[in-house]
Amino acid sequence: MTGPSFGARVLSALAVLHWRNLAVMIPLCLGGVIMMAPLLWMFSASLRPEGESYRLPPSLLPDSFNPDSYRHALVSGLPFVRMYWNSFVVAAASTAGVLLTASMAAFAFARLRFAGASVLFSIMFIGMMVPPALVLIPIYAGFAALNLLDTPLALILPALASSFGVYMMRQFMLNQPRALEEAAMIDGASYWTIYWRISLPQLGPALAALGIITFTGSWNNFISPFVLIKSLEQMTLPVGIVALQGVFAGAETAVLMAATVMAILPLFVVFLVAQRFIIEGLTMTGIKG
Amino acid sequence: MSGSGRRAGRGLGGPEARAGWLFVAPAFLLYAAFLLVPVLAALLFSVTEVDRFTWQTDFVGLDNFRYIWSDAHFWRSFLNTFEFISLAVSGNVGMGLLVAVLLERRMPRVLLYLLRFAYFMPVLVATALVSLVWKFLYSTDLGILNYYLRAIGLPALGWLSDGRIAMVSIVIMDVWKHFGFFMIILLAALQGVPRSLVESASLDGAGGWRIFWHVKLPLIAPVVLFCITYATIGGLQVFDSVRILTNGGPGDASAVLVLYMYEQTFGAQDLGTGSAAALTLLVVIVLVTALQFAFSRKVARE
Repeated sequence: MTGPSFGARVLSALAVLHWRNLAVMIPLCLGGVIMMAPLLWMFSASLRPEGESYRLPPSLLPDSFNPDSYRHALVSGLPFVRMYWNSFVVAAASTAGVLLTASMAAFAFARLRFAGASVLFSIMFIGMMVPPALVLIPIYAGFAALNLLDTPLALILPALASSFGVYMMRQFMLNQPRALEEAAMIDGASYWTIYWRISLPQLGPALAALGIITFTGSWNNFISPFVLIKSLEQMTLPVGIVALQGVFAGAETAVLMAATVMAILPLFVVFLVAQRFIIEGLTMTGIKG
Repeated sequence: MSGSGRRAGRGLGGPEARAGWLFVAPAFLLYAAFLLVPVLAALLFSVTEVDRFTWQTDFVGLDNFRYIWSDAHFWRSFLNTFEFISLAVSGNVGMGLLVAVLLERRMPRVLLYLLRFAYFMPVLVATALVSLVWKFLYSTDLGILNYYLRAIGLPALGWLSDGRIAMVSIVIMDVWKHFGFFMIILLAALQGVPRSLVESASLDGAGGWRIFWHVKLPLIAPVVLFCITYATIGGLQVFDSVRILTNGGPGDASAVLVLYMYEQTFGAQDLGTGSAAALTLLVVIVLVTALQFAFSRKVARE
C-alpha cells in the first residue's frame, strides 16, 4: 500500500484517541453498529433453524450455522432461482440499454451542433421531474393492449427512458476536453468512429457510475414489477420475495431471510468493489443537480 | 432555428446535423414512448372514464378530479404524505448533515471506510426487502424493538398497529434506509469547502461550531437545498415501505398518495381517478421544484 508513511499513519491513528475526538468517534461507531443491526439480524435469522426466527432475546450474530434455509430457498421448488435470473436479465438489459442510448445522446448534445438540440435537451430535462408512478398507469394500459404484461420486456423498455442518464453523461462530457474529437473530425473520421473510439473510452468513470445507479435501481425496483408482473415465474426479486411472504402466510421466516440475504448479496459485492464509483456518481448527482 | 451555418456541414441539413439527430434518436424515441406519451395519456385518462375491459373511453370532463377532491380518503392520504415528508425530510437531511459533519475529520482510513460502509449500506438495499426485515423488528409481540422496550421497563408499542405511531415507524425506517445517501453528498460538499477559508476563520479565533455555522454552512447551502428538494420529491412518492409495512393502515392512518393512486387504478380498476390522483402528485412536484429553484436563486444572490 502506498500513500502516507507508516509513521504518519500511526500518528493519525493515535490522533483519534484525543478525548475530543473520542467523544465523536464513540457515538459514530455505535451509530454504525445500530445501522448494521437490522441487516445483521436478517443474516442471523436466515441461519437459525426454522421456528427459532423469533427467539428472544434476539442475537445479532448467528449462534449456529444452519444453511438449511438457503438450501430450501434454492432447491425446494420455490421459483427463487428463476426470480434471481429474471432480476439479472432485466437489470443487465436495462443497464446496457441506458448506457448505450444515454452516452450516444450525450455525445450529440455535448459534441455536435445541430438545429433543435437545445429544444430536445430541454424536453428531456423536464422528464426528470415526472414521478415514475404517474407513467406507470398508461404504461400498464399500453402493455395490456400489446399483450406485453407479465414479460421481462414490460420492465426493460420503460427503464430505458432515462433522461437522468442523458443529463448526467452530458454534464460529464462537457467537462472533458474536446481536442481529440475535434482533431478526429478534421481528419475526416466518421461520427460513429469518433463516438465509439474516442468519446466513449473517456466516459469510463461516468459510465461506471451511471451503470451502477441503473443496475441497482432496476435490481431494487418494486413498484413496476408489482404492477406489471402477475405470475411468480416472471417476478423479479423484491416483488417476488414479498409475494412469497404472502404465500407462506408468515411462516418460514428463515427461508425468507435467506432469500433476502441472497438478493442483497450482489449489491454488497458491488459496493465493496466499486465504492469509489458509487460515491463519485452520487456526488456528481448532488453537486451538479 | 439556431443551426449556425458558418461552417460547411453545420446547420439543418448538413452531415453534422444529421449525425446529431441520429445519435439522439434512440434515447429520444424511448423517452417519447415511455415518458412523453404516457404523460399525455395520463392527462387524457384523467378526463375520461376508461372501461378496463374494452378500453373504451368516455369524456367526463373534470369529474375524476371532482371525485378525488371530494374523497375524504384522498385528503387523508394527501395530508399523511405531507406529514411523512415533513418528518422524513428533516430526519434524512438532518441526520445526513450531522453524520457528515462528524465524519469530516481526520481518522484512520480503515475506520472511515468501515463507517461509510455501515452508514451507506442500507441505501443500496431494496426498500421492499428491508421493509420485510423491519416488519419483523416492529412486530408487537415478538419484535426486537418491543423486547428491548420491555427490558428497560417501558410498555411495548404497537409500532405498526397503533394509528398514532404507524407513520412515525415508517419514517424511522425511511431515515435509516436513506440518510446515508444525503450523508455522502453533504460530506463531499463539506470537503469541497476551500481550506483557506476555514484556516483564516480559525486564525481569527472561531471555534469548530462557529466555523461550521458561519463559514461552511453558507457555502454548502445550495447542496443542502438540493438534498431537501430531492428528499421531498422522493418522499412525495413513498410507496414500497408503506405498502409492505402497513398497507396504509391501521384504517387510513398511514395511507399516502401513491398508495391511493395504486388502489384507485388497480384495486378499484378506475384508471381515470388513478390518473387524476397521479397528476395532482405531478403538480405538487412541479411546485416544489419551482419553489426550490426560486429559493436557490435567492440564496445564490446573497
